[in-house]
Amino acid sequence: MEERFIRQTVLPQVGTSGQEKIEKAVVTVIGAGGLGCPVLTYLVEAGVQQIRIIDCDVVGLSNLNRQFLHTTQDINKPKVQSAAEKLQQLNPQVRLELIDQRLTVENMAELIGAPDVVVDCLDSIAVRLLVGEYCLRYDIPLVEGGIKGFYGWVTTINRKTPCLACLGYHAEMEETEIPVLGTTAGVIGSLQANECLKLILGAGTPLTGRMLHYDGLSGSIDEIALQINPNCPVHSKLC
Amino acid sequence: MLEVRLFATLREGREKVYFLEAEKYKVPADILDELKIPHEEVAITLINGRHSKLDTSLKDGDLVAIFPPVGGG
Repeated sequence: MEERFIRQTVLPQVGTSGQEKIEKAVVTVIGAGGLGCPVLTYLVEAGVQQIRIIDCDVVGLSNLNRQFLHTTQDINKPKVQSAAEKLQQLNPQVRLELIDQRLTVENMAELIGAPDVVVDCLDSIAVRLLVGEYCLRYDIPLVEGGIKGFYGWVTTINRKTPCLACLGYHAEMEETEIPVLGTTAGVIGSLQANECLKLILGAGTPLTGRMLHYDGLSGSIDEIALQINPNCPVHSKLC
Repeated sequence: MLEVRLFATLREGREKVYFLEAEKYKVPADILDELKIPHEEVAITLINGRHSKLDTSLKDGDLVAIFPPVGGG
């Protein structure tokens, strides 16, 4: 067993077979920003070797309070390229597929593909909903997370659990220039990466049917049970 | 009794959890008015974990969860 991973392979939940699962897993991470940076970092450091990164943005100065894979020298560089340069240094074995395109209904199948897990790190609720519908249609586990200010949430979605549309999220909720502290993105992105690794390993209890809510101001974490909405436009169509 | 749980920025200047007399609050909108939460600040309302509208009827024992939009990445 490679020394690089020895501190996790000694865990009973990982071991040699778990590490093989991690290394063979195929993950698509959508967004290489505030959430994407911790998600990508921890997946690569854990040994995930096949990661597709989708992000059509370039690095901007206002990203640098939280998006730690990007530096001042990366301003105006495509985020997928900037992130890939650092991730390759973290683990040179990683095979990254970089997609510098905007996700649309038309290109979703081509861009997301058929990975083992999708981790959604987008800042657009409208596109999150499209991703959610795609993942439910093709039965791909989806790890969702959202942040604002000192607060964030994480939930894991599959066909048998509530999706964002079930909860009442809709495209008109779109917000721009969402205020956020870098640490909030770090906490929620780390939790998303943890969920993704749990799904790959088949370890623990996934955050399915429940939402973990992080409150950085009070320093507390809550959980709320979720139910499928029988009138959900996505579930009623696909499941 | 109703258990009302507020999330994210809706907690600021308020409590995280309220226990309210069920008889006084017929629908979630009544709770928002009591807690002085502008309706436009609310994105998601769940009753017992299931999506609801602000005019969905409440009953004794319900758990009401109220979220503002939190969709940044």
